[in-house]
Amino acid sequence: MATLQDLDRPEPPPVLPGFEHVRRSWNATYASYAARILPGEYYVTKSEEGVYTTLGSCISACIRDRATGIGGMNHFMLPASVKDEPEAWTATGLGAATRYGNYAMEHLINVILRNGGLRQNLEVKIFGGGRVLANMTDVGQRNINFVRDYLKTEKLSVIAEDVGDVFPRMVVYFPSTGLAKVKRLRSLHNNVIVNQEKAYVEQLVQKPVGGEVELF
Amino acid sequence: MTITAGELVKDIDGLVTLPDVYIRINRLLENPNSSTTDIAKAVSQDPSFTLRLLRVANSSLYRFPAAVTTAAKAVSIIGTAQIRSLALAMSVAKSFAGMPNELVSMENFWRHSLYCALIARHLAREARRCDPDSLFTAGLLHDIGELVIFNRLPEQAKDALLMVLDSQDEMQVHEAERKVMGVDHAEVGGELARHWNLPSLLQECIAHHHAVASAKQHPREVALVHLANVFALMAEVDSLDPGDVSPIDPLAWELTGLSDDCVDAAVREAQAEIHEAEQLFS
Repeated sequence: MATLQDLDRPEPPPVLPGFEHVRRSWNATYASYAARILPGEYYVTKSEEGVYTTLGSCISACIRDRATGIGGMNHFMLPASVKDEPEAWTATGLGAATRYGNYAMEHLINVILRNGGLRQNLEVKIFGGGRVLANMTDVGQRNINFVRDYLKTEKLSVIAEDVGDVFPRMVVYFPSTGLAKVKRLRSLHNNVIVNQEKAYVEQLVQKPVGGEVELF
Repeated sequence: MTITAGELVKDIDGLVTLPDVYIRINRLLENPNSSTTDIAKAVSQDPSFTLRLLRVANSSLYRFPAAVTTAAKAVSIIGTAQIRSLALAMSVAKSFAGMPNELVSMENFWRHSLYCALIARHLAREARRCDPDSLFTAGLLHDIGELVIFNRLPEQAKDALLMVLDSQDEMQVHEAERKVMGVDHAEVGGELARHWNLPSLLQECIAHHHAVASAKQHPREVALVHLANVFALMAEVDSLDPGDVSPIDPLAWELTGLSDDCVDAAVREAQAEIHEAEQLFS
């Protein structure tokens, strides 16, 4: 039997091609659907819906066209394998590590542009890069440095950010309005989040991204 | 898969035991013929406990009118019932060192517990008619069931935490635990407290800190620990916004006579005390 709550709940909005696999669920607080992305994933939408993720030392860039509301979020981290290379952590460096960051950023931006977003209308918010494990080298800070450097090189300005510090974060972003809500999570969640991110990085190292990133 | 709290706690004694000094003091307190001298003697039988007790008694967390220099002075200044609470509080972190898990670092676990302890003590003073030292111990122990679950059922515990994250942190940890394994950490902790024959105040505060309405003998104390747990989350994520932490059961305000005016001071005071408390109790 349908409850009153079910009747109030609309059908999920249409999905852009390529994002059919992303799980979406209803969020009562925002009275909206929200797509959940995991480390290494991204999601772009033209509809009134949210995108959310949990971040330890990973970074999420939230980017949208402020005129049309097309936008989305990614979730990535640079593997730490080549940390000794000078320039390894700058976006223009040619080291292997940055390839993953460039890849994640270019994919998000390219899909927004391909769906009608205009580069001159893009606004960016960045989140994450926490130092969630006390004894860990500050991978979070490296990720922050990378994304700042990348955005500077691409001449995209950051209008809001919540990065660094010691907390894991839950980020919900609504591209249609640009609203981003960040919630610091209690340390009980640290290890689960860190393990998800570790699994993602290990998979990156085993299966490197192939080919050149297509640039617009 | 579901499991009962009783099954989880049944053979716990191989892993965690209560410290001898607590058991000795407890036995003396239950015997009407024992004197404070007997209790002081029981304390000083454990020199390392005595040393730590004196450090705690002389720390800024306790502002006693005179320096506490011997076990006998400690017993007379601090009081016998409070010494029992302290003995439990001071040794419980050590006892649980034998129960490691992959899901939460002991440092983070005890920081949350200590925040809850400091805040429960603070709130007990505000609310009156409650023993601040008992509330400190109740706060420190409120989540011990979590350590049992994390050690015994690591996969299910992880699934429960993932469920919380999947829900955009809307679902609370104990709700996810119920869905995944049929019990939650409050029930398991309550069962452990019963198994150890801890005072009924502690049993109830541990078992019902997420369900204030089900408290029977000590509803005010349970309500204080419920509030202290939520404020401890605020202290941990350094936010005074109730939207950032678990919801408060309105019944807890009613039972304690406290109002949300007290949040700010309770959180800020605990943040100022946490470093010293970690030195003394972890």
